[in-house]
Amino acid sequence: MQTNFTPEALENPAMQASEKILRTCVHCGFCTATCPTYLLLGDELDSPRGRIYLIKDMLENNRPATPQVVKHVDRCLSCLSCMTTCPSGVNYMHLVDHARSHIEKTHRRSFSDRVFRGILAAVLPYPNRFRVALLGAAIAKVFTPILRHLPGIGTRIEAMLSLAPRMIGGRSTLERPQTVSTEGPRRARVALLTGCAQPVLNPGINEATVRLLNRMGVEIVIPKDEGCCGALVHHMGHEAESHSFAKKNIATWISESEGEGLDAIIITASGCGTTIKDYGFMFRDDPEWAEKAAKVSMLAKDITEFLATHELPATIRATSHTVAYHSACSMQHGQQIRDEPKKLLKSVGFNVKDVPEGHICCGSAGTYNILQPEIAGKLRSRKVANIQKIAPEIIATGNLGCMTQIGKGLSDTNDSTPIVHTVELLDWITGGPTPKALEKAGLGADMAINTLAAE
Amino acid sequence: MGIAFPIPDNAIILRREAIISGLSALIPPESLITSEDERRAFETDALTSYRRMPLAVVLPTTTEEVAAILAFCNENGVKVVPRGAGTSLAGGAIPQEDAIVLGVGKMNKVLDINFGDRTMRVQSGITNLAISAEVAHKGFFYAPDPSSQLACTIAGNIAMNSGGAHCLRYGVTTNNILGVRMVLIDGTVVDIGSDAMDAQGLDLLGLIIGSEGQLGVVTEAIVRILPMAEGARPVLFGFETSEEAGACVAAIIGAGIIPVAMEFMDKPAIEICEAFAHAGYPLDAGALLIIEVEGSDAEMDAMLKKIVTIAKKHGVKTVKESKSAMETAAIWKGRKSAFGATGRIADYICMDGTIPTGQLPYVLRRIDEIVKSYGLRVANVFHAGDGNLHPLILYNCNDPEEANKAEEAGNDILKLCVEVGGCLTGEHGVGIEKRDLMRHQFTEIDLGQQMRVRAVFDPKWLLNPAKVFPLDGRISA
Amino acid sequence: MSAPSLFAEQELIDSVHAARNAATPLSIIGSGTKSQIGRPAQSDKTLSTAALTGITLHEPAEMVIAARSGTPLAEVERRLADKKQMLPFEPMDYRPLLGSTGEPTIGGVVAANLSGPRRIMAGACRDSLIGIRLVNGKGELVKSGGRVMKNVTGLDLVKLVCGSWGTLGVLTEVTFKVLPKPQRSATLVLHGLDDANAIAALSAGLGSPFEVSGAAHLPNGVERVSATLLRLEGFDEQITYRLDALKKQLHRFAAADYVEGAQSAALWRSVRDATFLVEPRENAVWRISIAPSKAAKIIAEIKKSLTIRHFYDWGGGLIWLSLPATGDAGASAIRSALFGTGGYATLVRGPADIRAAIDVFEPLSPALRVLTAGIKQSFDPDGLFNPGRMIAGI
Repeated sequence: MQTNFTPEALENPAMQASEKILRTCVHCGFCTATCPTYLLLGDELDSPRGRIYLIKDMLENNRPATPQVVKHVDRCLSCLSCMTTCPSGVNYMHLVDHARSHIEKTHRRSFSDRVFRGILAAVLPYPNRFRVALLGAAIAKVFTPILRHLPGIGTRIEAMLSLAPRMIGGRSTLERPQTVSTEGPRRARVALLTGCAQPVLNPGINEATVRLLNRMGVEIVIPKDEGCCGALVHHMGHEAESHSFAKKNIATWISESEGEGLDAIIITASGCGTTIKDYGFMFRDDPEWAEKAAKVSMLAKDITEFLATHELPATIRATSHTVAYHSACSMQHGQQIRDEPKKLLKSVGFNVKDVPEGHICCGSAGTYNILQPEIAGKLRSRKVANIQKIAPEIIATGNLGCMTQIGKGLSDTNDSTPIVHTVELLDWITGGPTPKALEKAGLGADMAINTLAAE
Repeated sequence: MGIAFPIPDNAIILRREAIISGLSALIPPESLITSEDERRAFETDALTSYRRMPLAVVLPTTTEEVAAILAFCNENGVKVVPRGAGTSLAGGAIPQEDAIVLGVGKMNKVLDINFGDRTMRVQSGITNLAISAEVAHKGFFYAPDPSSQLACTIAGNIAMNSGGAHCLRYGVTTNNILGVRMVLIDGTVVDIGSDAMDAQGLDLLGLIIGSEGQLGVVTEAIVRILPMAEGARPVLFGFETSEEAGACVAAIIGAGIIPVAMEFMDKPAIEICEAFAHAGYPLDAGALLIIEVEGSDAEMDAMLKKIVTIAKKHGVKTVKESKSAMETAAIWKGRKSAFGATGRIADYICMDGTIPTGQLPYVLRRIDEIVKSYGLRVANVFHAGDGNLHPLILYNCNDPEEANKAEEAGNDILKLCVEVGGCLTGEHGVGIEKRDLMRHQFTEIDLGQQMRVRAVFDPKWLLNPAKVFPLDGRISA
Repeated sequence: MSAPSLFAEQELIDSVHAARNAATPLSIIGSGTKSQIGRPAQSDKTLSTAALTGITLHEPAEMVIAARSGTPLAEVERRLADKKQMLPFEPMDYRPLLGSTGEPTIGGVVAANLSGPRRIMAGACRDSLIGIRLVNGKGELVKSGGRVMKNVTGLDLVKLVCGSWGTLGVLTEVTFKVLPKPQRSATLVLHGLDDANAIAALSAGLGSPFEVSGAAHLPNGVERVSATLLRLEGFDEQITYRLDALKKQLHRFAAADYVEGAQSAALWRSVRDATFLVEPRENAVWRISIAPSKAAKIIAEIKKSLTIRHFYDWGGGLIWLSLPATGDAGASAIRSALFGTGGYATLVRGPADIRAAIDVFEPLSPALRVLTAGIKQSFDPDGLFNPGRMIAGI
């Protein structure tokens, strides 16, 4: 499209980058077809093309964001389905990231909005605080009928409380820095991002990952000073904060890489993976961090990406369970990883099925299901209905947010189909314990175990 | 840029508040868009070099709402620009300052499917591809497949009488619609056609299809669905020259074979598409044909054998047959994303003219000459079976001089199409893009007859008035 | 165009001007083989296109043919057959049914939108028609469309004029997109099915991937044993395979045998020309268009009050029926049965007094009437051409 940035404006590297992106958009409208919000609302303004147009006007004129622009950009899930569809290669992700930080710099949100977002940013990235908050949520749940009527934030509080689990388990042993060495010869050495919400909500995922990798002769290090990848606050437009989180991780991983060496940085939540793979872009103009960030982005691998290039251990259980593979947006659109997880599951014996409308987001999208409960709720119902169409025995995915979101959707329809992380299934079939969710659903008790292989 | 819009009626603009107030009584708040920022997203379609801010935008959800809106606009002299998905390459959905945009995007449901009769009733805001997706599980599809089918609405297809690569075998929109529910400018709701195969009386349906939003707003359509063939297989044929490719097409038709699609691409187009789709297009070919056949495996084998024999007689250098569903999808993905993929390397105008197929080599040579004379580049994609040509003129849209040159080159190409016995537009529609060239194809008498027919539906020229007919010499009755 | 034909076209234009000046309405005919269809003529003068003959364009490689409107249909078909091509829409010959004589013209085919059995697969006449030249009621020569199929330039007057029964203008030239003539043609025949099952069988056939190009049912009112017909056309190997595959698919309805060549062609000519209903000559004949799934029910409904003979074409989407030409020739019973179904009926054969008294063509809703009258006015402001042929007063 034609752009109208002044030469002065283009001296700002962020503006320059966004101008390039805007030039590639030909306004063809293909993106509208696969955008979840356009699907639900039928309004150009809630489509990638419309948002691009709003952002273009805002940035070209270097104007403060107006409430209307904020409304429509806030509604964007950053699912990146549009990027998969776009034939012109428009990097929508970078454009909307820039727009979000521009919004935070130029627009004063309402008091309740600011407070709410502030709380989310202050709590979710920190496992200890998150744990405390969840305990509080378990108690506050009982007050939901009253709380939901609070003006402005009622629906968001309701959404938040409804997503919080009733109970959380004890701390995992993996929560502190450590190295898990292999018993036999070491084939590779990787760092594991333990994450922020994940170890609290579902420590089983990291535990399964470590077991499986260990079994494959991979040494895992959980380095000191590792923390939240920053995706959460990045998607809220808090650029300084997200950079701060990122730098901490980059520093510790580079130190490991330059120390004992790293073959990969393993990430088990695709939402984090997309952001970490973007560290290189985020720090491209920072001479001190650019090279390190790029190296980290290069080393970053989703667990399924890593497993796909290595030989899995032998299976010790025979399975023919039907598994619906829910391809998280950050996985399929953000990282363009589509087939590897399915191939892995098939290779150990699962009957893998695709979910209809699989390219459409489940509505989790980081904190979207809390900040935009209405749209997220509709997308959740739609996703659950689509999954139910294929009647799977197990649902597998590679992102914690999706597990929480879809899990709630299933329980809303009294559907007890278990949802687990892909790596939990792979660990289970090759020697790990039965994942709790499968135990609860009564699966696996009668599966034949190849005791020879198990030894 | 060179295309004029009508001078906005200032009286309407001055009454904007009252008009918006009137509209707000007819539709819920989320269906009415009035803020400047939000209206801006509707100021253009895929012909982005032209932009006009509308008075307001309405996104109704029922036929009744559409009727109320049109009746109100009719009473108040407010112009209406209907909009589907805004993917028009001819500026068909570009509004004007004294008009509201009426978008049908929220009316996107499937209303009824009858597999025995092979008909479907849908709301007009549903996308073309969604119609096919709805019946794919039973082995049916909706045939016309414009390249934008992922996003474009059936409403837009009906307005433009859209085609697509497979229309060689299955026809265009007007051959695949059985009926519409349309709202006239005075708010009357009229059903034209039905689920019966041909409509009573005058073929008003045939008139409405292709009328570019100037006769009414279609809110529902009854479409034909067809059984999918047992299988489909595209084959790539690489030739050294377009002459050879063109002669091959003629010979295939002469042998009584009508493949389901025959697409032609010249070298620049091949390179652009391959860069995006990685479908294995031969990068050393001067011209490429994608020929698709349908049927059982044995039938396709037999048909392709015949076609390959013919192609060999015409100097084909490369023959690549798709060996899997994935390869088929990739081959078509390249062709169908040609326009957007071009956006990766340059800005472009996508032209749309039709020529008698025998004229292809001559016209390609002339196109090359014309575009070069303006100092620009061109890539050509062509529906070889029916002569519909899509030259993609590459230029830099941030350079006003180049933009003007590109537009003029496009106009010259379209005039050439008419000169050799073709027409200005094969499937994109006239919109604003070809409006001022209409006199190259039609006499004043021809245009007069069309305008008198138009006046039967919209005597006040309120519906999409900037389009199709030259701004001067308009008649209202 | 060559000089003699320009002369003929000019003569036509002059005749229209003359009629305009004298305010004399005209009956437009090619050779008049279909003059008896529609409400009786309300004009004494006839304007014929008989002098406008000749094929003006035939490019086999582009699958296009153009002819002046007075050219005999037979000539067009012969020229196409020479190059192994055909008019896809299989226009019927009304002469047997109507007992008329003369050589049907290509212009008449267009004016009546004649579309035979292959309509269900290859489209109607209006789907093949891509260009027209006509003289409107102002004596103006109007052209629409051209010689290329992909043409969306301006309003599609080509479709509007096709099937307008000469009420909008006098065609002088018509251009068609044609198709190759199939190498082989065969017809599957299933015996003994009742109407509902027959239509279900036809629907199943038409929903198959085998490109059924003709789907008709002859109930045991017109045949001794009912016969359900499905035609397949294509290349030799294709037909061998498809006949077998379709037989298997339809086995659940009835066993099928098949006919080919001249026998198959003759069968479809009869379906096309409704020869089953030619006799008794005094009977009125109706043509009903309706969604196939509703067809059998409609016939059952009509049979409650009328004695009819009928058969189905277009997979059940077209019903031909004949009944005694008494009273209103069944008009009210037929129309009330059709009410609300989306279907409609046209009386194609009946005595002139009945045709003057009833609605020959389906009556229009008020909104459609306004539009139709307006369009008529926009072409023919003085009401010169076939006034009242389709709708009284228009």
